[in-house]
Amino acid sequence: MKTISMFIITVLFAINVFAQDANKLLKEVDDNLMPESYESIRKLINEEPDGSKKEFTFYTVKKGKDKVAMLYLSPASEKGRSTLRLGENMWLYIPSANKPIRITSLQSVVGGVFNNADIMQLEYSTEYDATYSKGTDKEYILDLKAKNKTVAYDKLKMWITKADKTLRKVEAYSASGMLIKTLEFKDDKNFGGGLNRPSVIDTYSPLYKGYRSLMIYQTIKKRNFPDEVFTQNYMSRLGDLRK
Amino acid sequence: MIFARWLLLILLFTSSRVLFAQEDDISTYQEEEPEKKLEWNGNLDVKYKLFNMDQNSSLYKLQFLKELPSSSLLSQYSLEPYLNAEYRTGDLGFVLITHASYYSDKNSSFDLFEAYASFNPSFNTNLQAGKKVYSWGKGYAFNPVGFVNPIKDPENPELAQAGLFSANFEYIKSFSSEALQSFSFLAVLIPSLDVTGAQFGELKNTGVALKSSLLFYDTDIDFLAYYSEIKPKRYGFDFARNIQENIEMHAEFSYNQNVERFTIVNSSLRNELVDVYSYLFGIRYLDASNTTIIAEYYHNGSGLSKNEYANYNDFINNGANSLSETIKQQTLGVSQTNFKGQTLMRDYLYIKLSHPEPFDWLYFTPSLYTIYNLTDNSFLLSFQISYKPITNTEFIFWASMFAGKESSEYGGKQVEQRLELWMRVFF
Repeated sequence: MKTISMFIITVLFAINVFAQDANKLLKEVDDNLMPESYESIRKLINEEPDGSKKEFTFYTVKKGKDKVAMLYLSPASEKGRSTLRLGENMWLYIPSANKPIRITSLQSVVGGVFNNADIMQLEYSTEYDATYSKGTDKEYILDLKAKNKTVAYDKLKMWITKADKTLRKVEAYSASGMLIKTLEFKDDKNFGGGLNRPSVIDTYSPLYKGYRSLMIYQTIKKRNFPDEVFTQNYMSRLGDLRK
Repeated sequence: MIFARWLLLILLFTSSRVLFAQEDDISTYQEEEPEKKLEWNGNLDVKYKLFNMDQNSSLYKLQFLKELPSSSLLSQYSLEPYLNAEYRTGDLGFVLITHASYYSDKNSSFDLFEAYASFNPSFNTNLQAGKKVYSWGKGYAFNPVGFVNPIKDPENPELAQAGLFSANFEYIKSFSSEALQSFSFLAVLIPSLDVTGAQFGELKNTGVALKSSLLFYDTDIDFLAYYSEIKPKRYGFDFARNIQENIEMHAEFSYNQNVERFTIVNSSLRNELVDVYSYLFGIRYLDASNTTIIAEYYHNGSGLSKNEYANYNDFINNGANSLSETIKQQTLGVSQTNFKGQTLMRDYLYIKLSHPEPFDWLYFTPSLYTIYNLTDNSFLLSFQISYKPITNTEFIFWASMFAGKESSEYGGKQVEQRLELWMRVFF
């Protein structure tokens, strides 16, 4: 009996250490992707089966673990729109309506394969708990489980290079285990300030056959902002940060 | 025939996008575009509307008292260009938003929606002066606390509108506390324009509006007030909160003193000053199939009761059936001046359902909404499809019907059905 108890305790301890290691690796992946506080310009391109494209350009600012604000720079029909995320709270500002409206993280503001949570994503380690899955010679594979129900995807599977701990692929699953979308991270680029990371995220979904979304980072710069930038009142003035 | 032409136009547009689609290399997207201090943008809305008029409606008879159309089917074609400019440096800004309506060379108008300068002494403070739009309140279709808002069209709440001649100062402060996450204070001064026919106003009649906002335990809360010597004094609060990951709830409450209220008593217009409460409760719900439902209950404290509306209706009927053109003109004038708007009565329900991209049709968004008068059971029902096939272009198909008894608010409208086709091009 004593031996069995010792065995169970040892196994539980090992699992705990294993999970801690996996979460540590997940945090390293986050750190390699983005500085904790930054500004970036990125282009989102939705491609359709006939080859035509819809493009959006966003200016994004982030501070700490849970503050993200994003301004539409183009196209003209969307210019001036902005979104703000503070933890699980999310607002959309439409210039013609002239006030922020509370929205949910699951809604799509751009159409196509991405939803708000994809575009205004917090760090993976903020939203998910990680465990190791069976990897390959060159890659770790992590299984991620959402920490709460407000996270857009219940489970993620993540491929990370062993050499430099760079994220290469993410599969997003629903609670029922259905594959919702796949994100491939490619075209590594030196953004300056010691940040070398994939500049393109190629996303496709079995739910939207033939459609593809590309997220292309043009700039990522480490920058600190006052907390007041991440308030509803500042949503109409986000563009001032670029001047 | 008209619809066939529109359909052809839409088909031409949607097919051309395939021809102009190009295969671009990713590297062409990786360069940052230069930032401009002065930017121009705008859009042209081309609107074609068909109306099926209710020729028995008294309002119809009054509106066309000089010349009754031979058919109940009327059309309207209009252009609405918006031209906007924005100049911004780090702490200074200038915003100009203009709008024009063009029906014919003889019937067109120009509106200065907004023209204001702004100065940000710091991230916490902002000073603005000029003509500016304020949008107070959490409600989608109605805003009982919209003390300084332009009059909202509940049929199109996101449409740009004309602003208020004013100056304002705003202070924002964020906190790292879990309870109080942010606080802001806005003071608005509204100069009086009460000296008729002159470019002056009396200083003592300057209006003051105040708004204090909190983000408190993940709840947006506003306290609002409006004070003027010559206009109703108003006080209110509102809040909005996500009660689940897919449900948002909001509410507004206002107390209004000395509101001018018009009724018809013994076939004559009567006005009185009253103190009234107005309020709104609403939810926004996103279901598993990605359908968004917005539902709002609105109580309009200064609205007409059932009996008061019946008196108003008798007044309109008597005017429309009068043999005197002068009486018809006066009746129309009273209706258009003192009883305008989409919500003349007290209690309304607004429900809107929208579902982006049904059946995997990308860039299509159909929506259905109703404004239901809970007192007389009349309603407006609209179905809208928005289609954005190519960047900076939107097509809108919009069908509406008004239903209810002839003596009811929406059943008595001069329009029975309305069909609109919009083409919007942005630059």
